[in-house]
Amino acid sequence: MGRGPEGLPGTTAAPGLVEHFFRREYGRLVAVLTRKVGVRHLDVVEDAVQGALLTALTAWTAQRIPEAPGAWLYRVAHNNLIADLRRKTNRLRILEQASDTVDQESEQSPPSYFAGEVADDTLRMLFICCDDAIPRESQLVFALKTLCRFSVSEIALRLFTSDANVYKRLGRARDRLRQIAPEIETPPLDALKSRLPSVQAVLYLLFNEFLGDLMSQARELLFAREQADRAAVHSYLVTTLCPDIEMRLQFTRARNVPRSCEFAPASVPSLS
Amino acid sequence: MGDPMSKKYLFLQRSQPGNWQQPSPAQMQDMYAAFNAWKEKFKDNILDMGGKLMPGGKVVTTSGATDGPFVEAKEIVGGYMFVSAESVEKALEVARAMPMLMTGSSIEIREVSGP
Repeated sequence: MGRGPEGLPGTTAAPGLVEHFFRREYGRLVAVLTRKVGVRHLDVVEDAVQGALLTALTAWTAQRIPEAPGAWLYRVAHNNLIADLRRKTNRLRILEQASDTVDQESEQSPPSYFAGEVADDTLRMLFICCDDAIPRESQLVFALKTLCRFSVSEIALRLFTSDANVYKRLGRARDRLRQIAPEIETPPLDALKSRLPSVQAVLYLLFNEFLGDLMSQARELLFAREQADRAAVHSYLVTTLCPDIEMRLQFTRARNVPRSCEFAPASVPSLS
Repeated sequence: MGDPMSKKYLFLQRSQPGNWQQPSPAQMQDMYAAFNAWKEKFKDNILDMGGKLMPGGKVVTTSGATDGPFVEAKEIVGGYMFVSAESVEKALEVARAMPMLMTGSSIEIREVSGP
């Protein structure tokens, strides 16, 4: 064929299409759709249009070009856009719910897009460990083992159970994770929220294990102040445990959820 | 088909998703034109333009069905096509001229047995 990919752009004769068709349509569709949904969604619009053009490239070469290529493209781009925005706004709505107690400070920070973008690998893995499909007691064991490198007997000691039981729980967690393996990417935001109590339970145990020199403060926080100010306790744990500022922010935003840390009371008395 | 001497070949196209960059609209226009030129040139050989295969799918065996195929990304078949040619050399010529080879695709050519 001798035709290199560097063939003069715009001078190609594309059967059935006017010159610069793709480029022109791209600009047009981006403009039209951006007006429809607002500039803040520009990136989504651009992706939707790019996707439509690629779809066209495949479909039109494999079959034939439609009667009204412009209208065809618009329809595909529009559908892409609606689908993308629906996904995105769904995330945002849940994020807003999770952060409706955000104080002035966090309000000024840049928005953090939790779903799909948990920047911290460890935190992300922690949420994966706490998958709803895994029994609660297995989640905890699995997270402690996978993320914190606790030995089986160390876990058994902390959970007031036997080594054999810990092994059993680990096995159960691995089985479940294997079943959900294809979708194991970042958990969706609603999943993150529902997993938060489990994640926090793990954090309480981590706190217990690694920060012995802070125990007196911990006791004070967990017992004396717990009833008065759960949020303060939680923030303290978060700032102590999470070196990463982004991670801290995310936990602080969701701090109104820690009601059901059922493992915490069990682990805390063992400090004294 | 027409020509009784010609054989039927299955083209399996594989692309490597990793090193494939999104083309710009101008490049798409070029690709579109190049592909159409290729189609026109070999219109007597192209039996069935086939199509693109969606990612994912299922794998069925006697022990049940699983999500799949789980193979390395570079081994995933992304599209297929039927071509008639008097020899595998001619089929190779058709495949070599395919514009999609430029975007990092590979084409596997298999003769279809039978009439």
